Amino acid sequence: MSAGFANAAAAWLRSRIRMRARNGGDRPWLWFAPVLFLLLLVTLYPTAFVVWMSLHKTQFFQLTAFVGFANYFDLLTSTTFRDISWNSILYVFGSIAFVLPVGLFAAIAFDALGKVGAGLRVMALLPWTLSMSVVGSIWLWMLNPTFGPATYIMKSLTIPTGLMLGDPRFALALVILATVWWSFPYVMVMMSAALQSVPVELYEAVDIDGGGVVAKFRYVTLPQILPMLGSTALTLAILYLTLVTLIIVMTGGGPLGTTTTWSFDIFRETVTAQNVAPAAAASVIVLIVNVILGAVYVRLTGRVSA
Amino acid sequence: MTIAAQQSMRMRLPAWLSAAAFVLFVAGPLVWALSTSLKTEVKAVAFPPVILPDPLTFQAYIDVFTHKTFAIELFNSVLYATGSVVVALLVGLPAGYAAARFHFRGKNFLMLTILATSMVPGVALLVPTYYLLDSLGLLNNEFVIIVISAARLAPQTVWFVQNFVATVPVEIDEAALVDGATRPQILVRLILPLIRPGIAAIAVLGMITTWNDYITVAVFAPDTLKRTLQVALVNQVFDAVGISWSYTMAFSIVASIPVVLIFLFAQKWFVAGLTAGTVKG
Repeated sequence: MSAGFANAAAAWLRSRIRMRARNGGDRPWLWFAPVLFLLLLVTLYPTAFVVWMSLHKTQFFQLTAFVGFANYFDLLTSTTFRDISWNSILYVFGSIAFVLPVGLFAAIAFDALGKVGAGLRVMALLPWTLSMSVVGSIWLWMLNPTFGPATYIMKSLTIPTGLMLGDPRFALALVILATVWWSFPYVMVMMSAALQSVPVELYEAVDIDGGGVVAKFRYVTLPQILPMLGSTALTLAILYLTLVTLIIVMTGGGPLGTTTTWSFDIFRETVTAQNVAPAAAASVIVLIVNVILGAVYVRLTGRVSA
Repeated sequence: MTIAAQQSMRMRLPAWLSAAAFVLFVAGPLVWALSTSLKTEVKAVAFPPVILPDPLTFQAYIDVFTHKTFAIELFNSVLYATGSVVVALLVGLPAGYAAARFHFRGKNFLMLTILATSMVPGVALLVPTYYLLDSLGLLNNEFVIIVISAARLAPQTVWFVQNFVATVPVEIDEAALVDGATRPQILVRLILPLIRPGIAAIAVLGMITTWNDYITVAVFAPDTLKRTLQVALVNQVFDAVGISWSYTMAFSIVASIPVVLIFLFAQKWFVAGLTAGTVKG
């Protein structure tokens, strides 16, 4: 009798505690207060403020008059902005078009080599750990039009080199080359993980049906890794869209503005600070594109944070 | 040789060749940087380029380490990297714990707010943040750099901590509550030791992120005494005429040694951190 009562009491106590545990006491949001305060201060308030700034006329960093959407109108109709948009699109899509196949191919090659491949893969990850300042400096030196080894090799093969990064015809392509070198390891790691999760039975099924390597890739590998390929592409699109440092180091937006992207333009306008309203409007545009890409990413992966 | 072995050989040869090509692609620029850093300033700009330094000299490294601002730049890099990780963990641990353990009205809204902030790119906040810091007289302030860098790491920290805490059985918390422990005690004394490997992974990724960052420091703390190794490196490259390539390459390597070492020691966590939760389960 008393044992039954004790059990019942213990059960009641446990359920009370579980309820308290689930609700987190009286003020569960207090646990979020520090991080929310930090994000409000550093991210949310400046975000609201840049939207506010973009609706004003400015002189240096002073807001002088409210002008509504005039800055956006000026920006979207200017030829400079059109060129910059084109550069951004070329840079983002150009980099992705190369980095995905290179990274995927690297993953397949290293995966096929067992233990040795795993060791080599660790080595191949090195570029991704380096900062954009370091990667930019190394490639600036590799591509030096007078002394660089890349220039030397190209000249030996009688490929025209021009001024390399100083040449409006080649600059963006060479920045993309450095971008691919730096970020293909990220694709490689993601694709390795995806490849290892493909069920072996599917390959065996293709074997039974008499399919070769191409059929295996086309009908098993590709469909299986497509979701991961998509989310990797989105992550990198966001990264490339907002990337500045590599361009600062390699070209400074030149020559003749051929490597000036939206983000680089915002950086330059911030540090020169002549008239920041157009830069504020451009910031809002980058922000909106970024949020759209981020939202697609979340829909695709169900991941709660980028 | 069996047919299977023959087949695997045939498969492996292209794999070996491609792997070799990738190793060359990755190692080429790194070897060139290392080689240049071991040359004299004059030999570094020989054409055609020579891969082996002759004479081999550590002069560029000596110059880097004895430069008058090197110590302060190194100190700032370490300060910002560790400071931002500490602040991100201080604010991220309670939130991540609460996100994993408590269920209350408005939690989804809080988590969505944190998610939304992670989608705001740093570059879009350059203009307003510069304006605000300038008007408050807070440019060139170490603490401000730490706080801004910590805010970049915070959403990811919350998310990671939430996932790590979720792997710990909730019965552990309940048993401790029965014994009269408070929630903060449970987090610090019970949960934290259990999720230590995860915390180490967050710390490693966060430190590398802040260490490698150029923009935040370059724009908000350009002062010589507040800048980092990354900023100092880029400033050398800007000086197109006075640049010494052996010095710049030595500087690049020195500025990368800490992240490369962290990476080599913690590469399992590094890879786990990259791939964690990227595909819908």
